[in-house]
Amino acid sequence: MEPLIQLRNMEKVYEAGGSKFYVLRRVSLEIQPGEFVTFMGPSGAGKSTLLSIIGMLDGSWTGEYYFNGEPVHRLNVKKRNELHKANIGFVFQSYHLIDNLTVFENLEIPLSYKNVPHKERVSLVCDILDRFNIVGKKDLFPNQLSGGQQQLVGVARAVIQSPKLILADEPTGNLHSAQGEEIMELFRKLNEAGTSIIQVTHSERNAAYSHRVIQLKDGWVVSETSNAARVG
Amino acid sequence: MGTIGQDIRYGVRMLVKHRLTTLVCVAALALGIGVNAAMFSVAEAFLLHPVPFENSDRIVALVDSRPSQGIDTNSVSPVTYLEWKAQAHSFDKMGAYVWDTINLTGDREAEKAQAFAISPNFFDLLGVHPLMGRTFLPEEDQVGKDQVIVLSYGLWERRYASDPLILGKKIKVDGKTLEIVGVMRKGFDYPKPAEAWVPLSFNAKQRTIRDSRYLWVLAHLKPQVSVQQATAEMRTIAVQQAEAYPDAYKGWTLRVLTIPNFATDSLTRQFTFLLLGAVGFVLLIACADVANVQFARVTGRHKELAVRTAMGASRSRIIRQLLTESVLLSLAGAVLGLLLAMWWVYLIVSHMPPEVAKFIAGWNTIRLDANAFLFTLAIAISSGIVSGIAPSWLHSETNISETLKESGRGASTGPSRHRLRSVLVIAEIALALILLVGAGLLVKGFRALIVVHENFRPATVLTLNLDLPEMQYKEKPGRTAFYAQVLQRLAALPHVQSAGLATYVPYAGGGGTGVSPFTIEGRAPEERGETPSTIVETISPDYFRLMNIGLRGGRELSDSDGDATPPVAVISQNVAKRYFSGGNPLGKKLKIGKADADSPWLTIVGIVDDVHYTWVDKQEYPTIYRSYRQAPPFYTSLVLRTNGDPLTSVSAVRSAVGEVDPDLPLFDVLPFDRVITNSIVGIAYVAAMMTILGLIALVLASVGIYGVMSYSVGERTHEIGVRMAMGATSNDVQRLILRNGLFLTIVGMAIGLPMALGIAYALSSILFGVRVADPFAFVALPLLLAAVATVACYLPARRAVRMDPLTALRYE
Ligand SMILES: Nc1ncnc2c1ncn2[C@@H]1O[C@H](COP(=O)(O)OP(=O)(O)OP(=O)(O)O)[C@@H](O)[C@H]1O
Ligand SMILES: [Mg+2]
Repeated sequence: MEPLIQLRNMEKVYEAGGSKFYVLRRVSLEIQPGEFVTFMGPSGAGKSTLLSIIGMLDGSWTGEYYFNGEPVHRLNVKKRNELHKANIGFVFQSYHLIDNLTVFENLEIPLSYKNVPHKERVSLVCDILDRFNIVGKKDLFPNQLSGGQQQLVGVARAVIQSPKLILADEPTGNLHSAQGEEIMELFRKLNEAGTSIIQVTHSERNAAYSHRVIQLKDGWVVSETSNAARVG
Repeated sequence: MGTIGQDIRYGVRMLVKHRLTTLVCVAALALGIGVNAAMFSVAEAFLLHPVPFENSDRIVALVDSRPSQGIDTNSVSPVTYLEWKAQAHSFDKMGAYVWDTINLTGDREAEKAQAFAISPNFFDLLGVHPLMGRTFLPEEDQVGKDQVIVLSYGLWERRYASDPLILGKKIKVDGKTLEIVGVMRKGFDYPKPAEAWVPLSFNAKQRTIRDSRYLWVLAHLKPQVSVQQATAEMRTIAVQQAEAYPDAYKGWTLRVLTIPNFATDSLTRQFTFLLLGAVGFVLLIACADVANVQFARVTGRHKELAVRTAMGASRSRIIRQLLTESVLLSLAGAVLGLLLAMWWVYLIVSHMPPEVAKFIAGWNTIRLDANAFLFTLAIAISSGIVSGIAPSWLHSETNISETLKESGRGASTGPSRHRLRSVLVIAEIALALILLVGAGLLVKGFRALIVVHENFRPATVLTLNLDLPEMQYKEKPGRTAFYAQVLQRLAALPHVQSAGLATYVPYAGGGGTGVSPFTIEGRAPEERGETPSTIVETISPDYFRLMNIGLRGGRELSDSDGDATPPVAVISQNVAKRYFSGGNPLGKKLKIGKADADSPWLTIVGIVDDVHYTWVDKQEYPTIYRSYRQAPPFYTSLVLRTNGDPLTSVSAVRSAVGEVDPDLPLFDVLPFDRVITNSIVGIAYVAAMMTILGLIALVLASVGIYGVMSYSVGERTHEIGVRMAMGATSNDVQRLILRNGLFLTIVGMAIGLPMALGIAYALSSILFGVRVADPFAFVALPLLLAAVATVACYLPARRAVRMDPLTALRYE
């Protein structure tokens, strides 16, 4: 089977005041469809940077990147955005819900950017509210929700468009352990249903939910370990 | 509902959430859009439909012009017209008209009415039909068959109480009996301000007049003929005429004007364009304000917009979202702006004196119509786009992954953003300066116009006009006796200090005076066609003293300068200077008319001050004064110096004149200061509007600079906190902020001043009284702008230093 993600010799450089600063060094890795992968490493290792490159939010890097066989490094901005829009959902550490929109409207956002017709949008949002058990919250604004509930909405927003891949940057970083566990369980179920997931985490417990852990340090991939003792 | 609906819903929510900035933006846009809508209504009336009939673009006016004397539209002579009519192929109809004031007497109280003698095909040429009855028949241009009249709706309504059986009735006009054959529809008053029309007929002598120009000629183009083609043909004909009769046409050039160009004179057009430019500037300043607010707002929403992008929003969708908001803003501004515009149009229309308004082509069509509405909608949407595009564009340049970084403060403000905001403020300052200087110059010019007349002490002078019917006053002695009696009675009235008469009162009737050629005895005739010309005033002896026109040499005219004594004249100083340079003109002789004219030689007995007759003239025109006893006119203006408010004497004046001749209508009875302000009312309007626009610009520009400075203080809170923690005093911080704002102000003024100078040159060339090097406009007003800008910078600076450094540091 073709890998979902294939990176070859990916490098990312920041230039500041004439001197170059490498954030990612010759990163090569493959992620298969249906895989659940964790990036770990010390602060400043380049995890978030790598995640936003994979999520196609960042286009300034060198090397090769194939998504589902498509050469991302050869695509223009527009094509890349199309690919991202069609296949990738994001979950953020600080949720990044839009303050001025209700839960319902926040969930609607990704759909409206895919030009899903109004009727269908409504039914998809209702489905997901149902699935995540947050129907009662649909008219509340983000600041009226607990952190866990906000992240629940964040995950719901990521999956509403049925992406092939979910990218989560420290999704439980701002949550109590009980709330965090709920989110991780959710990820596991989504993964079992076929969605590929890449998460960044500092927590061994969260890492235990994934199939494989990739360690980064100073921009280098320093180790990869398959996770035999997977939770669940 | 599509995604647009979503954008709109969200946009409204954002606008409501940021109530204060929304209000500021809506107010700025309402001011900007409002003045544009109002000015559009005026410009539409002046430039697009100044005449009360359709198809005005297929009708042209054929006029003479004399560039060497600055005459750009002049009437033509009868023969010129008749030859054109016979020779031109470009037109299917050609007609002419002549101004003709008529005395309506007999049936009711004597009344003066503005009539026009027109060719019978005139209404047909314009494509208008009467409301009742008919217009003129082709044969009614023959002397003897021309005893018919067509009334305007206004005259029919006012004088004849809308009598439905009026057709066929006979009325007395200038002593003749005319039959009313038609009534025109309401609102038709062309040529302005027509109240009645009579047929234009030529007698045998008139058919040969070539160098007396009094006919206005209109022609309707044949279907396939363009204005350019017609112009080419007419030029050829004119050249042939000039070759055949060089004396009559020397220095004259034919011009072919479309009706809108003809009806609205070039000065009105120039000022209309000036004001259109000014309101455009105001709108640009308002847009810059809104753009600045949008910048600040977009910056505050970086996270949100980045999240949207991460959710799959394309660049164009983000831009659309932001544009939706700014268009919503400007639509709200447009609604308010239309209300303002309605009020402004009301103010504009209601402050014009009716005796002036009736002469202004298109004036009564000034209103906010459907076109103005569409125009407003269009400028609202474009200003929404203009003010929204730069901020949203800049946003889409930012790095999303940076912004979404969990820890970072984000790369919210790149240098390009700062630069653009600064550019906007600089542009605002520059535009505001140009407007202020323009307004200042116009106000100064207007003041200069007023001051020029103070010498007349016009507030206590009453002016009125009368026109003796030719039939009744055919003989000179009759006219002389009439005037002598009237002047005597008027001078004896209580409150009246003295009474006089003159052919033309300065500034009356739009400053129009006839001019005649004159000849100096013993001088070789000037080069062919270049006979000197002069205003000829026929006055009573008291006139000079009454009007404070000073004697510079010789004597004034006196009551003994009569029929039995040698004919004499008083000349204005510039006649003396121009034509008797060096020598003493007293005792020399001149006559009105060309060398071969059979008018009497007049001995020059006195020299008086020059008098300005119209504000358009930069220099006074040469004037020759004659005694009314030696040349009693038919048409004259009476002037009275009163003790107080001249209007209190009006009824006494009417009865005094009535005692001499009860059938004589007095018209245009106005205090002289009113005559003067009426003649400059257009300039007053322009000056007032420019002042208002200048003030709006000043306010909007200072709001802009205030907004930018307080935003940048907000943005630099952290920096200011650190600086203060490191020991910067509040003065240091204040200076830091002020320097920044003043730098922008100075750059803006440096850019604006040269442009303002350009405007000053343009204005000084069209308006007497505007000086380019005006210290008020070029020193005082820029200082005012700088002062206001300083205050606008100072307020945020003060806020910055009031900050507690600890709070500032925690601020993140
Ligand atoms: N705009 C930038 N300019 C220069 N260097 C940057 C910039 N953004 C990030 N970096 C550097 O890139 C490196 C990787 O950052 P990244 O955010 O990917 O780290 P991370 O592994 O996610 O760390 P953390 O666990 O703390 O979130 C860091 O050393 C950081 O200093
Ligand atoms: Mg990180």
